[in-house]
Amino acid sequence: MQSTNLIQIENLVKRYQNLVALDHLSLNIQEGEIFGLLGPNGSGKTTAINCLLALLKYDKGTITIFGKNMTPNSYDIKKQIGVVMQNVAVFEQMSVRENIDYFCGLYVRDKAARQQLVEDAIAFTGLEDFTKMRPKKLSGGLLRRLNIACGIVHKPRLIIMDEPTVAVDPQSRNKILEGIVKLNQQGSTIIYTSHYMEEVEQICTRIAIIDHGRVLAAGTTEELKKMIKTGETITIEAVTLDAPLLAQIRTLPHVFDISYESQILKIRLGTAKHNLIRVLNYLQEKDVSFGRVFSELPTLNDVFLEITGKELRD
Amino acid sequence: MLHLFKYRFLQTIRNFPVMFWALLFPIILGTLFYLSFGSAGLDSTGESRWDAVKTAVIRDGDASENARAFEEFLTQMDGEMLDIKDISLESEALDALNEETISGIFYVRDTPSLTVAKNGLNESILTSVLESYNQNAAMFAEIARTHPEKLPDAIEAVADYRNTTAEVSLGGKDLNPNIQYFFALIAYACLSGAFLGVQSSIDGQANISALGARRSITPTHKLTLILIDMAVLFIIHFFNILILCLYVTKALKISLGDDIGSLLLVDFMGSMIGVCLGVAIGCLARISYSLKIGVCVLLTLFPGFLAGLMFGNMKNIIELNCPIINRINPAAVLSDAFYCMGIYNDMERFTRCLVILAVMSILLLTVAFLGIRRERYDSI
Repeated sequence: MQSTNLIQIENLVKRYQNLVALDHLSLNIQEGEIFGLLGPNGSGKTTAINCLLALLKYDKGTITIFGKNMTPNSYDIKKQIGVVMQNVAVFEQMSVRENIDYFCGLYVRDKAARQQLVEDAIAFTGLEDFTKMRPKKLSGGLLRRLNIACGIVHKPRLIIMDEPTVAVDPQSRNKILEGIVKLNQQGSTIIYTSHYMEEVEQICTRIAIIDHGRVLAAGTTEELKKMIKTGETITIEAVTLDAPLLAQIRTLPHVFDISYESQILKIRLGTAKHNLIRVLNYLQEKDVSFGRVFSELPTLNDVFLEITGKELRD
Repeated sequence: MLHLFKYRFLQTIRNFPVMFWALLFPIILGTLFYLSFGSAGLDSTGESRWDAVKTAVIRDGDASENARAFEEFLTQMDGEMLDIKDISLESEALDALNEETISGIFYVRDTPSLTVAKNGLNESILTSVLESYNQNAAMFAEIARTHPEKLPDAIEAVADYRNTTAEVSLGGKDLNPNIQYFFALIAYACLSGAFLGVQSSIDGQANISALGARRSITPTHKLTLILIDMAVLFIIHFFNILILCLYVTKALKISLGDDIGSLLLVDFMGSMIGVCLGVAIGCLARISYSLKIGVCVLLTLFPGFLAGLMFGNMKNIIELNCPIINRINPAAVLSDAFYCMGIYNDMERFTRCLVILAVMSILLLTVAFLGIRRERYDSI
């Protein structure tokens, strides 16, 4: 089945004086996706979102949403977009229900339709017991859920979520992530920005890794992992090794990188069968005693590390 | 539309810090003024008791017609405008003047004269009494020469000074010098709408607040949002000022004049200037919220100070030395408009104030609108 490009960003350049925030950034996002924008803080994720929403001026490039050019006056496009900001954006002086109703009213004029949408959003975010409370009485997690309710209350076709789980407890985070998947199942296309690779890996159908305003790699999680050499990372604790032994381990089949620090040995290997057995057999042959052993498949952090040479959370 | 209006209204009136500065603070300040001046200081209104001014009359033995007429004139005034003390020696009168038991000494001569020790309302009244006599001296002298029996009637007709004062000089209204503080206070309260305007301005701009960003990406036209916000703020602050005026007139019993239409007009323009000033401050380059509130405090209290909020005579000093400041200071213009309504009954001056206020409103509205209408920003 041919997917439709819901958003097309081409060669987007945004400069803040001498700093290049977006460097010829290009992205295609298709209808029905949960598209993850993954990158460290300051990589250009929020700038890209603000350009996409026509809030920020940019120096070069084009942005089309639903096949139309996005401008500040594209009210027909804005009608179909819901945004969950990184910072909670609600009125402190209004209750949970009033806030949701107010923001719904910016999209939907019909009172009856609005009432139903507000009820749906309250139920969706599990805020039924808190509708009369003011935001400052809510916990961090509930506040984030209110922020989400205000952004999605009008049931938009496209939802943009900019780090919606920042400073949220694990329980609320899981609820938020489950909610995002449910929204997607109900038909919304979602753009999800985060620097938490686990979240992105958990819910996104396609991911773009960005750093310094550039897309370094894009694809499904599997596609991204296939782009790198690391197929497996083996960690062995409480092991004592000398330099000749380390040099010999480096020559084992499929090993392409090792690190040894504080008696912890980390071996990166290419994709191959029986990597772990081969390494452990070698250590037994050499009469090397060791503690706990872990074997991990590559993560998005490994992808980021290999592509940029630094950890995602550096 | 009504829906957005309703919620913006609720949100604004529930914003306690902002409503405190815009409504409660001026009411508290007014109450403190009232208490500090004391009820005696506020009693001398057109409707209340008139205290005759204590004075001494020194007769030099001058037997001229003019001296006789002046003495008769003062006698007619005794008990009404004047409270002539039983002092015949000049030295005693001067002692009494120094001790402030009397406010002035009239000298009965061919050319009458007055000695006062300081400037003040009582001294001004005595001066006016002398001026009033001098303006009619030739007539009194002629009557004294031709129909001496008619002199008391003629003097009585001219010397009904209270009525003359009430109708000509003071428009039948308040003579209390402390009233200027209340005019300056209402003017300051009008400018305090800036506190409402700042918050609204911040909530409307995507480069300043997350709320601004959220509201900017909705399909509701930005102009619609601005107009709703402005309308809500004008209405709320207009009612703030009306509440203050009601409090001042009904609770503190201070007259602001009888022309309700003019009062509403001035209140409306004052509210508009205050709110627009705040919106314009809110649009200032990216300075913090607290700094903006600081600018707000400065731009409301300082014009209030220049209009006589802290030092009653300040507006008069400025009028004498640099009148242009009183023309461009919105608090001074508002205060002047209240004077015209409450004291002078000077419609020409009142109209001038209204024109200045209208021009200021339009200018500030334009600045405010240009500041917040932007839809795309260089940075967020």
